[in-house]
Amino acid sequence: MTAPDQVSGAGTRVLVAGTGGQGVLTAARLLCDCFVDLGHEVVSGQLHGMAQRGGAVQSSIIIDGGTCPVIAAGQADFVVGLEPVETVRALPVVSEHTWVYMNTAPIIPYVVAQRAARKEADASYPDVDGLIAAMHAATSNVLTLDATACAIEAGSAKALNMVMLGCLLGTGSLPCSADTFWEAAVRRMPPKLHDTNSRAFRAGVAMTAERANCGGAA
Amino acid sequence: MSNASGHEILRDDASTRLSILGNHAIVRGGLEAGVQFYSCYPGTPSSEIGDTFAQIAKAADIHFEYSVNEKIAVEVAFAASLAGARSMCGMKHLGLSSANDPISTMPYVGVGGGMVIVSAGDPSAITSPNEQDQRHFTKFLYYPIFDPATPEDARRMTKYAFGFSETTGLPVILRPTTRVCHSSGMVQFDSLPAERNEVGFKKDPPRYVPIPQNARRMRVELTERYKKAEALLATSGFFPRTGSGRRGIIASGVAYSYTAHVIQQLGIEDEVTLQQVGAYPIPEELLKDFLASVDSVLVVEELTPFVEEWVTLSAFRAGRTIPILGKHTDHFPVEFEYSPDMVDGAVRKYLKLDQRNGRRANVPELPPRPPVLCPGCPHRTSFHMVKKVFGKKTVYCNDIGCYTLGYGEPLGACDMLLCMGSSISQASGIARVTGERTVAYIGDSTFYHSGLPALANAVQADDAITVVILDNYITAMTGFQPSLTSDNMAGGGSLSGVERSERFSIEDAVRGLGVQNLYSVDPFDDEATLAALEQAKAASGVSVVICHSPCVVHDRRVTKERKRSPFTVDQELCNSCTACVRMLGCPGILVIDGKYTIDRELCDGCELCADVCKHDAISPMQVEGD
Repeated sequence: MTAPDQVSGAGTRVLVAGTGGQGVLTAARLLCDCFVDLGHEVVSGQLHGMAQRGGAVQSSIIIDGGTCPVIAAGQADFVVGLEPVETVRALPVVSEHTWVYMNTAPIIPYVVAQRAARKEADASYPDVDGLIAAMHAATSNVLTLDATACAIEAGSAKALNMVMLGCLLGTGSLPCSADTFWEAAVRRMPPKLHDTNSRAFRAGVAMTAERANCGGAA
Repeated sequence: MSNASGHEILRDDASTRLSILGNHAIVRGGLEAGVQFYSCYPGTPSSEIGDTFAQIAKAADIHFEYSVNEKIAVEVAFAASLAGARSMCGMKHLGLSSANDPISTMPYVGVGGGMVIVSAGDPSAITSPNEQDQRHFTKFLYYPIFDPATPEDARRMTKYAFGFSETTGLPVILRPTTRVCHSSGMVQFDSLPAERNEVGFKKDPPRYVPIPQNARRMRVELTERYKKAEALLATSGFFPRTGSGRRGIIASGVAYSYTAHVIQQLGIEDEVTLQQVGAYPIPEELLKDFLASVDSVLVVEELTPFVEEWVTLSAFRAGRTIPILGKHTDHFPVEFEYSPDMVDGAVRKYLKLDQRNGRRANVPELPPRPPVLCPGCPHRTSFHMVKKVFGKKTVYCNDIGCYTLGYGEPLGACDMLLCMGSSISQASGIARVTGERTVAYIGDSTFYHSGLPALANAVQADDAITVVILDNYITAMTGFQPSLTSDNMAGGGSLSGVERSERFSIEDAVRGLGVQNLYSVDPFDDEATLAALEQAKAASGVSVVICHSPCVVHDRRVTKERKRSPFTVDQELCNSCTACVRMLGCPGILVIDGKYTIDRELCDGCELCADVCKHDAISPMQVEGD
């Protein structure tokens, strides 16, 4: 008997990846809470070990897709990568159907300096173009952007996660529009963050809308 | 932006439906049952349960404490139960072992108010020195155990467990694992109770004192209690059965969620009957009934083949000779946590379906981001100073906490590690047989947890050890819970919310245990620290050096300011000798385009790299108006 090889299944599966301190868990929490506020059923899982600031962090958000908090191989609909190496680390959940949003600004792991000082192999951060190519080899739907620069332009490097959420919601493929999501999101934010975060989110939305108008991802 | 759940979790509105962390769902379950007492010792992945109770204790009128260790947490909570209060205590899997002494006798004595021990498991040892399967406590010590698959299970089970504990007379264990504790799922709130247990201890020594003559009577009562537990569980609703096929699957814990997902993805609901095991002891009649309805069984559970062997025994007793597959047939490993992909592969193998095509994503070699001491951590400086004085040959026994991160190069501060408080006893053992002065590292919270008796033991034996106590005024690794040395006047909090104007004095405790050679230093004061360490090294018998300096991350959170300006590398003076990187392992020092630089955001200005730089290339950054 043959079973389907790749099943997308019901629901929307998003993986947010980055390093500790970039706002991965905050972005995931916001997605989770806002979609619940909008009447959806959401489960979310975190994967981070003992890492404090600077460790690899992944969080899955599954909207209307059952109770399993972990995304199986190839089953992510979206990967939101806040950092190039961490985006590539999420490759196991990527299939040719997955849409990937990838920030191209690296956070250099401290082990690179350790290796360089000991004259070991792999003593540099991987070539970012090579990392982008690795994503392209898995799916043609890859949008790359310097989201850190966008965030700084919007008012704060800390708004990086909001730029990336903007990219995600800007696709129009989630169960609600970017506007509806953002209305729910600002209700959950301290007022002093509204302006910067809104600018950052809008910048992300514009980024995906622009690419969509050009007839596909870069 | 956070749903720290502080207020949301207190909502008295039964229509509330939220997606919350498993750990928060456990708190909600406790509130719905009218819990009156919560004690805990922090440990990943259980910590958020206690942290949330700490936030809401006052508003919810609950007695709360971070206990000094898990044994004490269990004892105070048990006594509260004997006085009638519904009580709860939380810890990680290892905490249950630490508290094994009281835990082993509590089922004999039996509870007053319902009592639930939450012991969070860590399959794959993600944040622990081992993975262990607490479900064996049901056979080992007659504890009923609840094994949730989702946050909603965790809420329902916690709520149910209190009444169940009172009806059976047994304390119970709730055993969520990392994937339940740290996942969010939809949770449907029930209403909060209008009334709570009346509290007051009624004297009845034969009931509460397990001296041998009473213990033997209690032992017989225990058998009855456990039988009652099994009978009650049969109607608890924690053993749902779905599907209708003759191929059976039994699953427990988060692996049940994975299995349900895989069955739905494969569209095989009509071929497979899925039985969840949500609690132990597994009711025998329920299992017999299931076994009669299927022609084979695949057991899906993480860690030991606990359910698998239970089911095999039941099948034998029922005279049902059908294939029971699982770990002993290599459908699953006995080590580590499962994943939906692993369950998918095993279910396909079981049902003789084609395996998924192996078009695996080709992940290139990527640099790892292992955990490391934070930039500016005062105890990187402590480690560095100790190594300067004691050298590379000395054996360094380390302990559980942030300072375990002294492991490996370049700090080389951990030759040996076992469990909470073991550094001092291990140093004693090494020193006694080798005759060499041995160093023990231990943090403030761990020292009070179980370092005190080990230090007394070393003093009485006059062991040639130097204990370096790394005091950072907080239990940092598990998320900044207060320790006894926290300064609650400066925002550090206190264990039970009792305001004290003075921090606990480790010096007084150490001196009280009979240590003569005692030195207190600020590790950032090089001269004093090196001098103290030299004297501690030259001492005979036990010497203790206490390094006091606050956790920089916590301090910055509380004060919202950076006390020291970041440092920078003068590229003209730096000749890339790499001494700073090789000696310190600070994550703030980076190589960018072949040049050694300091990340301005990460650097906390501890100055240690400037001290080790022989070329004067590192100095404080001149920042305008910062």
